[in-house]
Amino acid sequence: MDLTVCIGSSCHLKNSRAIIAGLEQLIQERQLTDRVTLRGSFCMEKCGCDGVSVKWNDTIYSLKPDELTAFVENEVLPRL
Amino acid sequence: MDEIKDIVDIKRAVLKTVAQYAYEGTIYQKLEDIPFEIIQGITPKFRCCVYREREIIRQRVRLALGRPPRDVLYTDMDPTQVVHVIPCACEGCPISRFTVTDNCQNCLAQKCIKACPFGAISKTPKGAVIDKTKCKKCGKCYEACPYHAIVDIERPCKKSCPVDAISMDENDIATIDVTKCINCGACVVGCPFGAISDISMMTTVIHDLCGDWNVYAMVAPSIEGQFGPDINLAKIKAGIRALGFKEVYEVALGADMVARNEAGELVENYEQGKRMTSSCCPGFVNLILKHYPTLKEHVSTTVPPMVAAARYIRAIDPKGIIVFIGPCIAKKNDILAKYLQEIPYALTFEELDAMFEAKGIRLAEMETDEAEVATSYGKGFAKSGGVSAAVTRVLAEEGKNYDIRIAQCSGIDECKKALALLKAGKLPEDFIEGMACKGGCIAGPGSVKDSLQVRRGFDKYAKNQNDQILETLEKNHADRFDLHTTHEA
Repeated sequence: MDLTVCIGSSCHLKNSRAIIAGLEQLIQERQLTDRVTLRGSFCMEKCGCDGVSVKWNDTIYSLKPDELTAFVENEVLPRL
Repeated sequence: MDEIKDIVDIKRAVLKTVAQYAYEGTIYQKLEDIPFEIIQGITPKFRCCVYREREIIRQRVRLALGRPPRDVLYTDMDPTQVVHVIPCACEGCPISRFTVTDNCQNCLAQKCIKACPFGAISKTPKGAVIDKTKCKKCGKCYEACPYHAIVDIERPCKKSCPVDAISMDENDIATIDVTKCINCGACVVGCPFGAISDISMMTTVIHDLCGDWNVYAMVAPSIEGQFGPDINLAKIKAGIRALGFKEVYEVALGADMVARNEAGELVENYEQGKRMTSSCCPGFVNLILKHYPTLKEHVSTTVPPMVAAARYIRAIDPKGIIVFIGPCIAKKNDILAKYLQEIPYALTFEELDAMFEAKGIRLAEMETDEAEVATSYGKGFAKSGGVSAAVTRVLAEEGKNYDIRIAQCSGIDECKKALALLKAGKLPEDFIEGMACKGGCIAGPGSVKDSLQVRRGFDKYAKNQNDQILETLEKNHADRFDLHTTHEA
């Protein structure tokens, strides 16, 4: 399944690079590489949110780097 | 602001202005001002009124910032889609496919009326008239008229799309079916109103260039000749470094790496009697994945040259940020969908040119002298036939003698024909070299100059005394990378 991280200019300023690196590491650690594909995306029209836009299972989440572990535990794993 | 004469000027003016403010670090404060800066006064220059002109500029600024046009519903969008219609810029061309022109002689034979199977044509004192509600666009009247008075006009966007992904909504505004679109960019060039455009990553690249990162540029082989007949690769490289890039690498070296890998793969497949296609053109690969999914297993599993080059750069600086610069719109989609961790950004030559302008860099004045790395075969990947030539060359250098037949397909239409034959099991050739753009990458939609000019410049510069692929790879330690990938739709 696709896990899509926004790399638009606004999310870039909110450090989408750290989100991509963090998610990549978590995907590897939990051995999800065969089941989750990390993709990039242009703007998802949620520039007003605090965090970086991440789309998973047709829902758009707003994430900060320290929220990634909880996000993978609570949102990604249960919906795989 | 320079005078706006055509659509290329509009796109360029927006990219240049956005690049300028991005370098200054004031882009987010200036967002609202840009439309008024580019469109001044009250007299419209290219549309019905300045308000519409400014709205078009506003949407183009969004695209330059990596955002899709605002007035489109993007809830179910494929977020990696690069090519978008700018609805406010679409004229909704009121064209009905078959139209009777002034050439109609109001003849007595009435061949058009007799030829129409739907009774859509009637005779009036002024000549034949087609009833649009009855016309089924079969074209029989068009063939029948002895005066060629009936013309076949299709909307340019629809006509330019090789995969029939463009249709019209209830207001005659063009819409793109993203499940069919291969992001080749043909419609971006095809629309005479510039109403279809590609999203840019330029602003984020400039942000990184102004930060503490080591940002590396890798330029596609088709860059030679892009900036005029007197600008060689060394001058372009110097110009790119002046933009803030730490170093510039040739994707053509990646092409040399790919040629070696793909030659090995081709021999393996050939010996098993299996047909294979090239994998370097993302438009062509998208065509297979979306429209001929059963042929997926035939696609070479060698990475495209830009990824090979990125792995080469990554070995030099593991933490560097790598930016691909090429003539290609589909590459933007390719990196987002498949290579995000390796290549975070792709720019077009158009965007590069806007950055040069924004920084006031004149390539002609660059003084530099540096040796070129890639072979003439790696550089040749930019032109239709180049991949085949390089792969054949590798086999010759390795002393392997195979009678491998190659289908060189230039443009999606030729690719579709070869793929249809492959699907039917009737392809006589062993290898398909597929290029989405007619003539190869040098005719790409993100080019600065038109393909005729580019071709002349390319032929002048893309020669290198060095034509030894294997030796070049060894000398540059470029022969030790894993170049394997998989293809998922």
